[in-house]
Amino acid sequence: MKTRVTRRSFVLTAGPAGLLLAADSDFPVRNIDFIIPKSPGGGFDNLVRVIAPALEKYLPRKVNVVPDNIPAGGGGKGIGQLYRARPDGYTIGAVDLPGSFILQEKQNGAGFDLNKITWLCAMGQPEYFCLAVGAHSPLKTFDNLKALSGTRPIKFTSSGPEGTAYAATVVGANILGLRTRLITGYKGSSDFVVGAIRGDGDAVIAPVTSIRPLEQSRTIRILATFEPHGSFPGVPDATTLGKAELSRILLDRLVGAPPGLPAAVKSTLSAAFAKSMADPRTVGLAKKFDVDLAPNSADLAAARVRESAAFFGQWKKVLS
Amino acid sequence: MLHLWLSGLGGLLQARELLFLAIGMTIGLFFGAIPGIGGATALALLTPLTYGLDPFTALALAGGVMGAVPMGGSISAILLNAPGSAPSAATCLDGHPLAQQGKAGLALGAAASANAIGGIIGTISVLAILPIAKDLVLLFGPPELFLLAVLGLIIVATASRGKMLRGLIAGALGLMIAFIGYNDVTGVLRFTAGIAYLWDGVHLVPALIGLFAVAEMIDLSVKGGAITRDAKTVGIVSVTSGLIETFRHWRTVLRGSLIGTVVGAIPGVGGTVASFLSYSLTVQASKDPESFGKGNIQGVIAPEAAINAKDCSCLIPTLAFGIPGGVEMAVFMGLLVLHGMQPGPLMLIDHQVEIYGLIWALTGACVLASLLGLLVAHPLSRITLIDSQILVPVVTAVALVGSYAVDRNIGNVVVTAVFGILGYLMIRFDYPRLTMVVALVLGSAAERNFHQTTMMSDGNLSIYLHRNVCLVLLAGIVVLLIAPLVRGRRK
Repeated sequence: MKTRVTRRSFVLTAGPAGLLLAADSDFPVRNIDFIIPKSPGGGFDNLVRVIAPALEKYLPRKVNVVPDNIPAGGGGKGIGQLYRARPDGYTIGAVDLPGSFILQEKQNGAGFDLNKITWLCAMGQPEYFCLAVGAHSPLKTFDNLKALSGTRPIKFTSSGPEGTAYAATVVGANILGLRTRLITGYKGSSDFVVGAIRGDGDAVIAPVTSIRPLEQSRTIRILATFEPHGSFPGVPDATTLGKAELSRILLDRLVGAPPGLPAAVKSTLSAAFAKSMADPRTVGLAKKFDVDLAPNSADLAAARVRESAAFFGQWKKVLS
Repeated sequence: MLHLWLSGLGGLLQARELLFLAIGMTIGLFFGAIPGIGGATALALLTPLTYGLDPFTALALAGGVMGAVPMGGSISAILLNAPGSAPSAATCLDGHPLAQQGKAGLALGAAASANAIGGIIGTISVLAILPIAKDLVLLFGPPELFLLAVLGLIIVATASRGKMLRGLIAGALGLMIAFIGYNDVTGVLRFTAGIAYLWDGVHLVPALIGLFAVAEMIDLSVKGGAITRDAKTVGIVSVTSGLIETFRHWRTVLRGSLIGTVVGAIPGVGGTVASFLSYSLTVQASKDPESFGKGNIQGVIAPEAAINAKDCSCLIPTLAFGIPGGVEMAVFMGLLVLHGMQPGPLMLIDHQVEIYGLIWALTGACVLASLLGLLVAHPLSRITLIDSQILVPVVTAVALVGSYAVDRNIGNVVVTAVFGILGYLMIRFDYPRLTMVVALVLGSAAERNFHQTTMMSDGNLSIYLHRNVCLVLLAGIVVLLIAPLVRGRRK
């Protein structure tokens, strides 16, 4: 069958396509909105604010990268906004796993599909969790905690029931064979970790980066770490506890863009992110927050999404 | 300890740091005066520009902004009934009626001096408690925060004498609005009607801009004329008399400053609670409570002293644990991060000189901004003589743009407009806006902390009787409930 290309249809199709290509090659010409679906002040927010200035430096044109906290709906609103934004590269967003999978499951109204997001990079290595209690807690060792679990459920302070920390707490405690009761509703990681220090609950499961400074100031005591080989001397890790699965509970901080992002824009953004994460000042600042930044690719980020989905998919029933 | 205070002060008293402090102060004063823009926006815009500055200079700049914003907020609250930021809304309650009576200079003078004294008292308190800051923050868990919220609600209820039923209706409406949005405890969305904007609840600042600024402009356009008609009084009532009033009511200043210091140090409570709590307790303590809301100068002094005292003490939870007391502090934390300072217990050890420098910067900016406020109070008070045909469109436009600028969301403009109409109806039918505002501020915090307390104690309410701070708060609640009855009998 012959298709006749009229002048009118040519103009109608080639015109916008040409404009899009021209726009891609000019990218960026205006400020980029960097959505953070979390409250200000946590590790997630800090990392974006450290990387954003470096990103401005390595983009081909001088524009501002504006961090925008949209924590509503446990982060669902922010990710939904990212997903529905125009795929032109001017809206990017940070997404944490596994919490966002639970959001996707529970908040159909948020209307996003993590498998369709255009992944750009990972902000740092996946992060391990650890289990800690306040410095003044009567629980001195993991065995004390285990013994307490035999008499009553352990109370863990945590975020809302759709956060990454919530997922890590539920799955981690399950693997460790602890009976649990969660005290939810804290605004962010700083908030629920302080809740445990204060004695609102018995213990907390949180990312190592959130806990380490508090451990160094002797404000908190770590009873177990989910790292395969622990970085805290004398603290049992996933290997010594005989629970290798614990080291698969990882916090991933990825950067994504709306589905359908043009390849040229994706490439520009990914390259700028890779350079940002090799920038000595950015690497140094991130190191202060215990995050090791290293250049990585969009493919690696997409692989982390698949891996996290596979692991936490097994725990879907417990989490729901 | 003393050498750290002096090192911080010495670091600030360098030409470069003083220059940036002055720049920050000017920006803070300007941004603070524009409804909705406030310190958070100013800091957010400035933070990327500090990338090339050394940390101490960046802190001087930020301290300048944060220290001056309250004074800017007071100016617009008094003159236009348009709070620059949420805490300044309490100043509207008596500050604007004074402006309507032609006493804007008096109100501005009192606000500026209460601001400066509150800031100084706040600084002294914070310097004294910084070594035990961590312990203080840890005193307030969900049970204490719930009782504090209840205390705030009761104070307001008892403050709305003479129109108790209307006060309760307004308060109940405020609570219902406060419950809209995502429930952090259960992870459930409530009353959002499928509107994504409402997932985060009704935003406080756009609501307050509507309730005060827009409502006032509607009222003014209905009545016609200017805010005040008495040009002679505007000229006569001097700024100096405001200054004298502040010293005459030293008890109110002291009470406000202490409330600001304590409330600021509690994580996640924020300045709005401090200013309204201070206002309500002043009404409660007054021998002439009926005069509040009609232009009682103590109604200006009390919140102003609390707001600036709070500015210093809310550094405690922010720096000690990384829990920001409000949006402005959250943005400020971003600036700290950008300069390699991670808020948390180690910051109190590793960056002591910077922290003391910041405290001095905040105090310096607060005092300087107040002095500047005193200087410009008289010419500014003449704004109240501008005719409504010019003033109403200008203020309404600024209010709506400011509301949009809070987080660049058009939904904010709708909220401001709706609350503007609601506020006007409340003025028209004499419903107290104070009770609604306090319910809006405290509602969700009260609910969340009650839920968490219930989870902590497995539903056993005796938890409130086993904690020392809870017992103090419970005693306060009992006293507040009984005091009006006792007073009534005596009369």
